[in-house]
Parts: sequence; C-alpha cells; structure tokens
Amino acid sequence: MHNGEIKVTPVVGLVGNPNSGKSSLFNILTGLRQRIGNFPGVTVEKKAGMLTLPGLPVVELIDFPGAYSCYPTSLDERLVVQELTNPEGDLFPDAILYVADITKLDKHLLLFTQLRDLDLPMVLVLNMADLMDKDGLTVDIPRLSKALDVPVVPVSSRDHRGIGELKEAIAGLLLDPEQYRPRQAFYEPGAGARDVLGELRQELPARNDYHALLLTHHAPWLKHVPETTRHRVQQARVKHGFHSLRAQVEETMDRYNTFEPIVRTTVRHAGDTSSRSDRIDGVVTHPVFGPILFIALMILLFQALFAWASVPMDLIELIFGSLGEGIRATLSEGWFTDMLVDGIIAGLGGVLVFVPQIAILFFFIAILEEVGYLARAAYLFDSLMQRFGMNGRSVVALISGHACAIPAIMSTRTISNWKERLLTILVTPLTSCSARIPVYVILISFAVPQAIYFNGLLSLQGLAFAGLYFLGILSAMLSALVFKVVLKSPDRSFLMLELPEYRVPVWRNVGTTVWQKSKTFVVEAGKIIMIISVILWAASTYGPPADMAAAETAALARAEAQDLSGEETADLLASQRLEASYAGHLGKAIEPAIRPLGYDWKIGIALLTSFAAREVFVGTMATIYSVGSTDDEFRIRERLAEERNPDTGEPVYNQATAWSLLIFYVFAMMCMSTLAVTKRETNGWKWPIVQFVFMTVLAYGGAMIAYQLLS
Amino acid sequence: MPFPVPAAASLFKVGQTGTIERFTNEYLAGKLLDIGVRPGSRLRVVRKSPFGGSWYVKIDRQCLALRKKELACIMVK
Repeated sequence: MHNGEIKVTPVVGLVGNPNSGKSSLFNILTGLRQRIGNFPGVTVEKKAGMLTLPGLPVVELIDFPGAYSCYPTSLDERLVVQELTNPEGDLFPDAILYVADITKLDKHLLLFTQLRDLDLPMVLVLNMADLMDKDGLTVDIPRLSKALDVPVVPVSSRDHRGIGELKEAIAGLLLDPEQYRPRQAFYEPGAGARDVLGELRQELPARNDYHALLLTHHAPWLKHVPETTRHRVQQARVKHGFHSLRAQVEETMDRYNTFEPIVRTTVRHAGDTSSRSDRIDGVVTHPVFGPILFIALMILLFQALFAWASVPMDLIELIFGSLGEGIRATLSEGWFTDMLVDGIIAGLGGVLVFVPQIAILFFFIAILEEVGYLARAAYLFDSLMQRFGMNGRSVVALISGHACAIPAIMSTRTISNWKERLLTILVTPLTSCSARIPVYVILISFAVPQAIYFNGLLSLQGLAFAGLYFLGILSAMLSALVFKVVLKSPDRSFLMLELPEYRVPVWRNVGTTVWQKSKTFVVEAGKIIMIISVILWAASTYGPPADMAAAETAALARAEAQDLSGEETADLLASQRLEASYAGHLGKAIEPAIRPLGYDWKIGIALLTSFAAREVFVGTMATIYSVGSTDDEFRIRERLAEERNPDTGEPVYNQATAWSLLIFYVFAMMCMSTLAVTKRETNGWKWPIVQFVFMTVLAYGGAMIAYQLLS
Repeated sequence: MPFPVPAAASLFKVGQTGTIERFTNEYLAGKLLDIGVRPGSRLRVVRKSPFGGSWYVKIDRQCLALRKKELACIMVK
C-alpha cells in the first residue's frame, strides 16, 4: 500500500461525525466539480470531487457519510466502516481528512481515535474556527497536535480561513505518508477480546490489532470478508465467548478516558454559547407555539411554490412552445419534424417546467436544514409519525410532496432507518402534487354543483377541492399504517437526534444543494420522461395504415358535408386520427376494464397517456374532443358538458363519472418521473413496481366505489 | 437529589437534573455512547414534545431529542 510511490489518482477521504460541517468543507475544496452517485451496491449517496494540489497528480476527494463510530447503526455508517476496513477496495483512502466541530471536540474525537488506530495517515481539521475569537473559545493547537500525534488545522467554512494550510497539509500527507503513521495506539484491545484475537490475528487479512478486532466484530456483514473467514470468525467468537456489544462498550469507555484529558487541557470555553439557541428553542420547540410556527412556515413554503414558481414555469412553457413552433416553421413537414416538436421538445419542456418548483423547494429546505430547524420539526412530530410507521423526519417529505413528489422523495435520505424511509417514499406520491391541480379544476365543476354559502365565504366547489387534498393526506397516512404491519424490518428504529445550535446559513451550501438537486432531477428523471414522450407521440400519431386512411377519408367527408371551416376540419381530423391510432385501439381495448368506473374509450386514452405524467390529461382531452391545440381549461369544460353517450344520449360527464375520475387522479401513480426516482432511491425495480401496483389498485377500487354509489 | 437510588431517566419530570450512572440496554448503550452520552454526563429534561413520545434533553452542553423508550434505559441519580 504505502510504499513511497504516489498512485495515479490518490484518494483522500473526508470523514467525520454528522453535523461536523464536512459537506461545507467539501463544497469549498471541490466547488461544483462534484460527481454524485451511489456507493456500489447500496443506496448511500456518494459524493466525489477533484482537487488539484501543486506538485501532485489530481486528487480524488470522497465525502464519506457522517458517522459517529466504527460500530455502525445506519446504512451510511456501515458504508464508512466497510470501506475503511478494506485496504484492497477502490475507495480505500490514501489519506484521511478528519473533520471535527471545534466546539464538540470532546465527542467528535471518538471516531478519530478509532480511525487513527487503523493506521491511516490523517489530518485533524477543526471546523468552525471562526468561533475561536468571537465566543472566547481558545484551543492550544500545538499542544493538541503533539498529544494526538497528527497535524491539526483550524479552518472555517464561513470565512475560509485555514483552507490554504489544509491543502498544504494534504500534500504533505500524500508525499510522505510514512511520517504520518501513528507511533502509538490510543487503545489496546481489552480482556474480553484478547483470547479471540490471539486465535484469529494471524488468519485475518488485518493490518494491525485494531483492524483485526473490527473484522472480528463486523465479519458477519462486511462484504469484503470471504465466506470461509466469516465462518472461522464465528467459530472463534463462540469458542472464546466473545460478546460484541460488551466489547464495544468497554472500548468506547476506554477511548473517552484516553482523549478526554487531552481535550480538557487544550480547549477552553469562556462563555456559555448555547444560551441564544436555548432561548430560540423555548419558542420553536414549545409544545403549543412549535406546531403553530411549523404550520406558518409550511403556508409560506406553499405560497412560494405556487406564487413564485408560476412566472418561471410560464416562461419555460412559452419558450418551449415557441421553440416548437419555430422549428415547425423552419423545417419541412414530415415525421422527423413531428417527432422533434411533439415528442422531444414537448418532453424536454415537460421536464424543465418542474425545475423552478424543485429549485424553490430545495432552497427552502436547504435553509431550514442549515439553520438547524429540520431537526426540531422531526423532534416535534416524531411520536405522531411513529404511530404510522414513519419517522419525525418524514414530515418534511410529506409536506414537500404537495408541490412535487420527486424532490420530496429525494429528501428522505435523512431518514436512517430503512423501513421508515421506504414507507415515506412509498406513500409520499399520494399527497396531491401541483400537477393534479388542472385535472381537479376541470372535473370538479361536473362533480359538485356551483353553490355558495355565507355570502361567498364558503363555496361547495372550494370545499370539495380542499377535501381532495385531505383525502390525499389521509390515504398516505393509512397506507403507511398498512405497510407498517406488512413489512418486516431488521433495523431498529432510533430517534436519538442531535439538535444542533442555530446558525446563520452558509449561502454557498444552499446554492450548491439547489444546483445539485435540480441537475440530478433533469438528468435522471429527464431521460425517462423523454423516452416515454417519444413513445406516446408515436402511439398517438401512427396506427394501422388501413384504419388511419379510413379515418382520414371519413373525417374529410364529414367536414365537407357539415361545411366546416379550415380550423374545425383540422381539429376533427386530429380527433379521428387519434381514434384510429394505436393509442386509440388501446383505449378501445381497455374499455371493458374501465367500464365499471364509468369511463368510455376516450377517457381511457387520457388515462393511459396520464400514466406518463398526469398533466398530460388536459392536453389529451383537448386532442380527443378536438378543442384544438389550445390548453384552455374553460373551453374543454364547455366541450365536455356537451359530450353525450351515443347509445343513451345521456351526458358522459355526469356527477358519478366526474367523482370517479377525481378519486382516480387522487390515488393513481401517474408519473413516470416519480417511479424513476423511487427506482433510483431504492436501487431496483421492486419498490417502484409495488408503489405503482398499490396506488393503481387503490385508484381503481376507490373510483369504482364512487361510481357505483353515485350512479 | 430527587432520587437517592438510580432511576430511569424516563421517570423524570421537566426541569429535573441528574448524573448518568449506567445503561440497562447494551444495544442502546453502544449508540448512546457513540453520540457522546456516557456515565458521568449531566442530564436535564428540558421539555416534552406535543405528542409526548419524544423528549428534549440536555446532556452536558449538547441538546438531544430522545424517545421515551430510549430514556428508559438510562439510569440516573
């Protein structure tokens, strides 16, 4: 490993406790040159970036997830231990930057001493050094460095002090790793572990005693330990009565006793810096005012999402609309132009139109996180959410889901318990997102009569609108309850949540989050939306040639007979072609299945196209009922009111059908992007399929009950 | 001292303070030790959440949210 030669791309790992400011430091060191992906085989976010240092090849900096110790309880922490105990792995770092919060050194040194005993070249980075002069905090850096036997660099993500020195220290570690190897271990394995280690030490592929001890503890789940070794370790553990938990507690206590005196003699706190945070928490986490403040913040967030996002969203739609028209005007007519305009550009517009809402949502959530509010919200609602099998941290996702399920699902990464996180991902799309609004607007007038009470204060339709939102939340909570009972979880559930001190946000971090999340959405979800759009376009444009030709002749004949204008003829032609297209055939084919819900084949096509994205509903309706190319909701509504069943002459959109459709849209999983994100976040097709099936069954059942009761 | 003999921290009232003596659940002990809660630390119950299940506690100078069942394994005197 460290034989004096520098690798082509040296790997430097950024490790530290959660809330140590690791990510801020990563952002400063790498800027926006970051690659975000998952660690191989697990759903843990891996952030890597490039760092250039004078006189060295380009260094790969990996931001490891936050961990408290080498005894992991969450997926994130397991990954840290797995990679740092595997010298043969690709991610095994050549050097480690250990980030600790300068005000919490008495706790953050636990993992430091453990990693140091693994014989890794390290620098201790003391973050939040800007507090050193302000709050009367003093640290004796030379003494600390001598006692811990590593270079110590105080830095600040706020005023960027110490970054230059840190880069020099990294270069020093990589150029001469031998010099930075530990001379003495912080901890010698105790009585409970000595026997088992004596037997296994020579057999395990370990660098030193502590590495061997960690392999003994974690062999059952470490992926890089071969099956035979695992078996061997298990035997030795039983033979010597090795008790993993007891040995862990013993080790942890021993380590605290070793480094606590070092911290006591080098760090001095002058004043009580937390009194300001305590005063703020007196209101923010108050049993009565806390929830009130939370609701007020959420109203502000909704306001921002609906009011501020509408201008950029309209602008994006306008740009893509005119781009399509421009291309149509420039290029010659033909299938390629059609595919480009109706397939690709429409699809691209459909992706980008969500970016403003996603950006605003993450802007708010990043600020709330930076300030330290999210931890408080999780504290306030933990016991309520637990009754439904979720975590306090799920509140954030369920609220965000009312704007868009995609960023909401991405925000569940803060939930460490896999089952609680999965439940939150599965039920979040049941909350009514903004794409359902146009559908609700059109259909509600058929479902509920226009009636106003109390001098206009209360309208029946408005009440129904609110009712649909409530139905969404209620179904999300109840579904979570069902999944809670059905699913088994090997993990134990914890709250054990740190409530960090309130701080002014670091705007650079907020900006980076907004940029990264928007980019991820466009790239990942965008790919799938584009493919679906092109398929949809093809299915609704082409059909069996004989049928298509017949439909065209019939439409032209009817146009002549009824003496229609040029525009009316084009609209009629479009609607006849749709009926004859593959999509139309499909609509007719599924008609028997949706008959019990009160739908005809035309609604069937709209339903099918909506499965790509619900907002397609309005556009499809416009095409089917030949309203023309405009998306005018009121014109569509007038046209729907005139629609009659050809057999009975009754209106198609009666109260029963309208309610049935509304219920269907509340429950149905009609969003390819959400499924794509669920697949990415759960690393496989299993859960998006489960999500799709349960929501569709709920939608079908709910709609059928509504129709059969009302008709 | 309100409790001369060690008692579970989940029996504490808001505002009550004590010194952690030991943990009664090894699994939770490992996790609590990791986040810096250890025998000898001063524990104070600051407030309880609106639905009662999670408590806001201060341990030494650190603020933590712990569930009632997590506090039940912390013996304090």
